[in-house]
Amino acid sequence: MRFFSALVLTLFMIFMLSTAAFAGGGGPPKNFQKGVFLEVDRAAGTALFQASGSDTPEVLMLGKEVDVENISLEHKVMVTLEEKEGKTYAKKVETMFLDLSMSKFITLMVVGLVGGMLSGFIGSGGAFVLTPAMMSLGVPGAIAVASNMCHKFPKALVGTYKRFKYGQVDIKLGLTMALSAIVGVQIGVTVQKAILNAWGNAGSNLYVSVVFVVVLVVVGGYVFRDAIRLSKNDADDTASPLALKLQQLNIPPMMNFKTAGVRISAWVTLPLGLATGMLAATIAVGGFIGVPGMIYVVGASAMVASATELLIAFVMGAWGSLQWGLDGLIDIRLTLLILSTSLIGVQLGALGTTYVKDYAIKLVMASVMLIVAISRGAKIPGYLGDLELITPLEPFTASVLNFISFWALVAALGTAGIIITTVMVRGMMQARREERAALAEEA
Amino acid sequence: MAQTTATKKKPYLQTILFGALSLASYILLFVNEEWVTETYTMGGYYVVYPIVTAFWFSLIHGAFGSNLLSTLGLEAKMTKKK
Repeated sequence: MRFFSALVLTLFMIFMLSTAAFAGGGGPPKNFQKGVFLEVDRAAGTALFQASGSDTPEVLMLGKEVDVENISLEHKVMVTLEEKEGKTYAKKVETMFLDLSMSKFITLMVVGLVGGMLSGFIGSGGAFVLTPAMMSLGVPGAIAVASNMCHKFPKALVGTYKRFKYGQVDIKLGLTMALSAIVGVQIGVTVQKAILNAWGNAGSNLYVSVVFVVVLVVVGGYVFRDAIRLSKNDADDTASPLALKLQQLNIPPMMNFKTAGVRISAWVTLPLGLATGMLAATIAVGGFIGVPGMIYVVGASAMVASATELLIAFVMGAWGSLQWGLDGLIDIRLTLLILSTSLIGVQLGALGTTYVKDYAIKLVMASVMLIVAISRGAKIPGYLGDLELITPLEPFTASVLNFISFWALVAALGTAGIIITTVMVRGMMQARREERAALAEEA
Repeated sequence: MAQTTATKKKPYLQTILFGALSLASYILLFVNEEWVTETYTMGGYYVVYPIVTAFWFSLIHGAFGSNLLSTLGLEAKMTKKK
């Protein structure tokens, strides 16, 4: 019976993974082309476009949304295409590689440092602010996502290595979660596409935002309450009642996770990984689900869960980078600029965990989740307006909401940076005091 | 006297070596910015370029970061073995 269940599960995973591989689940959009414009005919609203890898230039119709005056003939561009009445229209034209000024250099490095610290400490984070930050600097959306993804896996690799050395990573749990999450991403993308087809872009945006806000508020609120309760008693973590109940379920194959100190059925861990992947495909921040999932459903400590999440981020980041890289969307300059500081930040965050109790990790995670929820919540009225469910927003209101949305993300990162630094410094000072006291005792 | 983190020898040499290697890689890449951005975004098999580069930097720049933090006296608290 045990063998049979294990076989069924393995076959299921192989099948789903191969489907995901062929369908390119969670990968980049396909309706674009990279290349250069050779000539623009403003009067006719057309342009001669030479796509990368093609020998013959083609004539593109320029859509209404395209700013013809600003089309450059020197820079490589990314053109989003749309088929209308048998003709190919350029819907959007974006410069692929932005010129990096000193202020952009510094912005990316600062965000990288704090994002890295957050990652090292709670297992994920940084991406939620890095992608919008890059886009606000003028990087096309797809390039921002791809370059960010390619920065995620080396950072997670270094973080995993450090936290593994501290004895906090459960490799088996991480790999189980990561593989099932990749499958989950595929399912999530299918759902997402169905929604896009049914309700269009605004509907899809609204759906994503509502799921995002609801999930982050509910899960973040729960984690926050738990963190406060533990901090009041200055207590260490204990497994949640739900996790304890699930651990009693004796449905083979049972899985033993040594570092997490948990024995639990694969029928719990695999669906959890699937759900994490599905949500990651929808709201793009898998760690905010994966870490609480490992804590409250599997029963791992916040320390082990956040460390194991780094391994998951490595696997998923490498997988994602491969897919986005196959379409040639990674701007390695952006990736490396962020890495220059985030590889240091992630190690700082990782060593910080050795000085704190579990609730500090939960507190940081919950604070970030709740502030990020505000950021996304501020976008909902705009999407409701686009769908004409409410009166469309005044331009002023829309710009205020956009301002709130962006700066809430920055605030989330700032708050995380401050909390992590504070708890870490406090922990280090206490450790020094203890060390000195021990030495005095010895003498 | 027991050896404490404060009295441990700091990895100055490693920090400088890995730092120099990392800096040289950064300079090499940014000096050839045009070739790099073009080649790295050709797609298909060229995906190897960004992936291998990312791994290379995680290795050398990660090692630099680790040694830098140790040099600055920032070390993890050693957990007591049960």
